[in-house]
Amino acid sequence: MENFEFLRNVTIGQYFQGDSIIHRLDPRAKITILLILVVVNSFILSFTGNVLLLSWCIALVLLSGISFRFMLSGIKPALPLIVIFALMQLFFYGDAYPPYGMESVTYWRWGIMSITNGSIQLVIVTLMRFLEIFFLVSLLTSTTTTTNIAYAIESMLEPFQRLRVPAQEISLIGTIALRFVPIFAEQMEIIMKAQASRGADFGEGGVFQFVKRTRQMVTLIVPLFVDAFRRAEDLILAMDARCYTGGRGRTKIVRFHMQRVDLLFIAFTAVFGVLIMVFRNHFPI
Amino acid sequence: MSEPIIRVENVSFSYNPSAEKPVFALQDINLEVFPGDYLVIVGHNGSGKSTLAKHFNALLRPTQGDVWVDGMNTKDPKCVLPIRATVGMVFQIPDNQIVATVVEEDVAFGPANLGVPEEELRARVDWALKIVDMDAYRQRAPHLLSSGQKQRVAIAGAMALKPKVLVLDESTSMLDPAGREEVLKAVRTLNKEGTTIVAITHFMHEAVEGNRVIVMEAGRIVAQGSPREVFSNVETLRALHLDVPQVTELAYELHKRDNTFPADLLTVDEIVQEIERRLEQKERIGGYSWARHYTGQ
Repeated sequence: MENFEFLRNVTIGQYFQGDSIIHRLDPRAKITILLILVVVNSFILSFTGNVLLLSWCIALVLLSGISFRFMLSGIKPALPLIVIFALMQLFFYGDAYPPYGMESVTYWRWGIMSITNGSIQLVIVTLMRFLEIFFLVSLLTSTTTTTNIAYAIESMLEPFQRLRVPAQEISLIGTIALRFVPIFAEQMEIIMKAQASRGADFGEGGVFQFVKRTRQMVTLIVPLFVDAFRRAEDLILAMDARCYTGGRGRTKIVRFHMQRVDLLFIAFTAVFGVLIMVFRNHFPI
Repeated sequence: MSEPIIRVENVSFSYNPSAEKPVFALQDINLEVFPGDYLVIVGHNGSGKSTLAKHFNALLRPTQGDVWVDGMNTKDPKCVLPIRATVGMVFQIPDNQIVATVVEEDVAFGPANLGVPEEELRARVDWALKIVDMDAYRQRAPHLLSSGQKQRVAIAGAMALKPKVLVLDESTSMLDPAGREEVLKAVRTLNKEGTTIVAITHFMHEAVEGNRVIVMEAGRIVAQGSPREVFSNVETLRALHLDVPQVTELAYELHKRDNTFPADLLTVDEIVQEIERRLEQKERIGGYSWARHYTGQ
């Protein structure tokens, strides 16, 4: 029956109340840190660099006091896809990626398929990079209320308002989207249970029978969309009734003030990022 | 009596007025709501009660006739915002009207739209959450609340606009009995503190809450008056396939057997008192204790 429980499986976007230093950071600082580390992440292809970055991310997770079990449980739904990509990289990318910092060695070759130490490195590095991004994003969303994220984005976009970037609207759209994630997860459970009670077969067809699972998804997505539109119409009325007329002239209940801790965190991350970037071609492996 | 806060004058409304044969969801409605009223509108699905409610805060504008809210015409585009700040509205499905992901931020949504300055915004949110008894939950995520609590948050969200009128559009129909009672309690408190309430419902026992009841059928008002007046016409309501409150039904059946028994009782207390009174009376007249007879003492 655990297949029905989406709420528990989706860790990205779930806020976890807490009072850690990460929780208390200014959301704008957190987003800045996230952006810096994502940029660093996209440039580093070596073992060493990724071990460093991954350790940095793990340190942040430890600081937040959020359990790894909770975080990693969020990967479960994506596992089949990850495995497929990893296998494809392992078998088909052997010649495309010469290994970083090593002599190229081919272990096995059959037609267009091959396994080289390059492809093995690629698989491991890709997994680490995936984990880094995954940790960072879940860390942001599990230590920051979605509203705060939306407000932070709004506040960071404010300078661009002169260029007609609708900061307020973007932030509201973001908030509403996030607000409805658990509702749609719940709705999906209801639809699945309703279909299962009439004989649809969700329980079986293990994790790797993704064709079957995808086909099952189609019958879920259509009713889910219908439901989404119905809710959207309700929401429009409710927002109208509460005097929403667009972003202009709205006041906020949440204000942020950057503290010294926030600046310190950003500075540390920036120094770390710059160092790693500068030395990225000097790591032994 | 003071000036009505909402005045509906000869209103007809059609969702497709330009069609060849427009279907009218409302026909020739005349209605006045006075400050302090607790008006309950009952009727079937499709009787036009929700359509009528949406006229009170300019979500819909009449095809014919006028709706005046606190002296403002809902057809005047300049009045739309002040009207919506005067008439707050709570809808049927609690989830679909909560915008933010934290309770207090959702409550702040309305006044924030009006550009209320930060300090007053905080004060209003505090006040609104307190009045629906949800201030302990201000930092919670709405999806972790029960539906009764969500609906109280929605009420707080409407009340944060400091409206004079609160319209509840079937706001209890999706709730469990406990949640319904929570919401009704909050609404009663609001009414006692001077907010005019317009409640739309198909639960007849909720209609008893009000001081006025309007019965709608096929876009028209077919009966109105105090709950007692309206529900004493059991036959009329039955002809419209509407229920009467269970207590009233019982009183009515008793009245049919014994026409000295009042047919217009509305609450359990009333009917208990009446029966006790009769038992005592019988005891006095007949010399035989029916009360003792029934209780076996």
